[in-house]
Amino acid sequence: MRVGIDVGGTHTDAVILNGDDVIAATKSLTSADVISGVTAALDEILQQSGVSAGSIKTVMIGTTQFTNAIVERRELSKIAVIRIGLPSGRGMPPMVDWPRDMVDAIDAEVYMLHGGYLYNGWPVADMRDDEVKAVITDIQNKGIQNVAIASAFSPMNSRPETQVAEKIRAAIPDARVTLSHSFGRLGLMERENAAIMNTTLLPFADRVVNSFLGALAKRGLTCPAFISQNDGTLMNADFVRAYPALTFASGPTNSLRGAYRLTGLENAIVVDIGGTTSDIGVIQNGFPRESNVVVNIGGIRTNFRMPDILAIGLGGGSVVSEDGKIIGPRSVGHKLVTEGLVFGGQTLTATDILVAGGHAVIGDKTLTSHIGAGVVSQATATLHKMLNDNIEMMKPGGKDMPVILVGGGAVLVTQGLNAAFKLHRPENADVANAIGAAIAQIGGESERMLSYRQTSRDESIASVTRAATERAIKAGADPKTIRAVDIEETAVPYMDEGATRVRVKVIGELAT
Amino acid sequence: MKRIDLSHLDDLALGSVFLATGGGGDPHVPRLITEQAIKTYGPVTLIAPAALDDDAFIVPIGSVGAPTVSLELLPSVDEAARTIEAFEAHVGRKVDAVASFEIGGGNSLIPLVAAAGKGIPVVDGDGMGRALPEAQMMSYAIAGVNPTPALAMDYAGNQATFQTNTTEVYERHIRSFAMAAGGMITTAEHAMSGAELKRSVIPGTLSFSIELGRILRENRGQAEGLLKPLQEIFARSIYGQCQLVFQGKVVDKATRIVGGYDVGEVTIERFDGLGDPLKISIKNEYLLGKIDDRVIASVPDLIVIVDYETGTPINAERLRYGHRVAVFAVGCPDFYRTPDALRVVEPRCFGFDIDYVPLEQL
Repeated sequence: MRVGIDVGGTHTDAVILNGDDVIAATKSLTSADVISGVTAALDEILQQSGVSAGSIKTVMIGTTQFTNAIVERRELSKIAVIRIGLPSGRGMPPMVDWPRDMVDAIDAEVYMLHGGYLYNGWPVADMRDDEVKAVITDIQNKGIQNVAIASAFSPMNSRPETQVAEKIRAAIPDARVTLSHSFGRLGLMERENAAIMNTTLLPFADRVVNSFLGALAKRGLTCPAFISQNDGTLMNADFVRAYPALTFASGPTNSLRGAYRLTGLENAIVVDIGGTTSDIGVIQNGFPRESNVVVNIGGIRTNFRMPDILAIGLGGGSVVSEDGKIIGPRSVGHKLVTEGLVFGGQTLTATDILVAGGHAVIGDKTLTSHIGAGVVSQATATLHKMLNDNIEMMKPGGKDMPVILVGGGAVLVTQGLNAAFKLHRPENADVANAIGAAIAQIGGESERMLSYRQTSRDESIASVTRAATERAIKAGADPKTIRAVDIEETAVPYMDEGATRVRVKVIGELAT
Repeated sequence: MKRIDLSHLDDLALGSVFLATGGGGDPHVPRLITEQAIKTYGPVTLIAPAALDDDAFIVPIGSVGAPTVSLELLPSVDEAARTIEAFEAHVGRKVDAVASFEIGGGNSLIPLVAAAGKGIPVVDGDGMGRALPEAQMMSYAIAGVNPTPALAMDYAGNQATFQTNTTEVYERHIRSFAMAAGGMITTAEHAMSGAELKRSVIPGTLSFSIELGRILRENRGQAEGLLKPLQEIFARSIYGQCQLVFQGKVVDKATRIVGGYDVGEVTIERFDGLGDPLKISIKNEYLLGKIDDRVIASVPDLIVIVDYETGTPINAERLRYGHRVAVFAVGCPDFYRTPDALRVVEPRCFGFDIDYVPLEQL
């Protein structure tokens, strides 16, 4: 049996799956400390099912805590960023295209060093020992523990990154370093962005993982624990301490996969309404449609592999304007239970509108009696219009598509949706994310730029596949079940014959 | 005289990817370096070709190399201006304005970086009206402008100067230097007088690209909805008519490197799976579209693949299996339908054994 837990900004869901059957499910508000909510949800499903902790073989956790930390600019630690690539890129320092508030929030010390390699193995410039030494001394003097390092062409030659990392660790023994080549793909700025976001989350990642493992141990769950990442595959909990950024967008992926599992619909639009956002995605042949474009997270360009999600600021905790004409994007999030009107708070939220309209019994309805009927119907109309307009945008051209409503906020949809060919509200739809987390697999991905003249095509693909396989095994996959699911070869134009970018993705079952 | 400031860059980048017809590379980095240059040095003056003095000295500037390399080997904010300065020192003459090699992709932006850094105007126009892979295909070369004296500079400030007998030899030599210098260089070449530029430039394409980008942004959404606004803007331009020629899903994409180019074919099937698929031949750019044996569009007319849901143009190197796309075709500027131009850009120049037939006659 498997436990799937999903921690959202507003709700924490948990399920027990026995094979394909949901034998227990619960949904509760995410607690401010996160972990007491997780513990309570675990207690609830274990009690509901009467299953003993010992018969749970694995726990899969999906969490949006890291994405939300970036989006809301909180829990971020001060870091140092080192780019190795001078004399290229003068006047284009790290974070040059970031939103101002994010730059301020992480307050990074930025350094640019000579070094890095060209595609053909020649150095961009020689590394300068005095430059490196000065940077490390400055980092030491400023008392910074967490460092992101990116160098030009590091997916092909990671030596400059590892060399500087070694020197930092020698000088600052408890330093934690993220190397951009761990994020694989070519595109220095996007890879560097991923490393920076990852680094600024490291201390928070420790707190999160410790509290998860602590909660599981307290309930006697000693089985392996995994956390789901952006492509719907899993990584083991300790891996997350080093790579929290890999969890970005795992929530939407889990809800899409969960919606598919709940309905069996291989092609559909999924609308996952949470406390803060509605995430609209598309299932194609049972898997999330992937984004064609570079993905922005909190206004920052990254090259993560992500589902194509249109997120709009509409959820149960969304703040509603006095006239009901504007909903969101501001949300009270998990403070809904203290700040929402029905809970005795002072903020008019989408949930209050739902209760005032008589569509749900949550909190104390009498606390909404001062809201005029006109405002309630206006807000209801605003909400449905927002969803319809955005579903239309995601819909594959003019075709009739079923819409699956999932997530705790699905109750907000009280009228039909014109954009939907058919509206599905499957059983357990409110815990789709937790189900999606529970059915995730283990993946691994690697990318290198190679010359087919120097290394044969077969040998090249085999070496990249080996690197991807090693990553999958490290992340907890059963070596016997690993298979390549995607091999991408991109010839590099205008270069010598045979220069090719090879990317391989493998997937395997969880090792048990 | 118009000015290009930060508010124009997103539209210019978007419009230029459309006109790049699959080539030209991702414009993000060039867009960003242009933004940095304008922030550092101020907005750029755009000068119409007709407004140039006949004896003005103009040099086109741009990047030569593999777009993929610029994803890692980032440009510097002063690189383009330093290239112009080095060129001025080489030829012993001040440059009055810079111009663009091609309006497609990143090379539409590099002249702006140079112009900002030097405080000189950029010509509203380019040497292709789209993207094409080789120097001899530029309108400047076709009109008889000599590519040399030329100067190239790499990321570290290393320079090479060129004096060649033919454009073809120049093309070969500049590629060799690009490879030796790490895959990406900035070059100043095809220097000419105002009078020569007036008869060799594809005029107005820089301001047109900004306008096109605005249309794409404002009409973001499904491809059918984009057709009418696109037809309207192209009808008012130096380009020919715009057609929506196909919609469907990429079911195969195979490319390999031949002679330094990304050569291959993409196969697009209708959404309902019925009928013959559209096959588009690629040599860095989308060059020839065929359904069964029937030609739908061919170079030098423009073939553009856009994301079906958003209308965002997709570069050949980013196009992947499973992409849902729409394919537009646009008649090229008249310049490229003249015998002199067709001699170097007709389908046979790319290895396709067919005669060029203008889009609207197919």
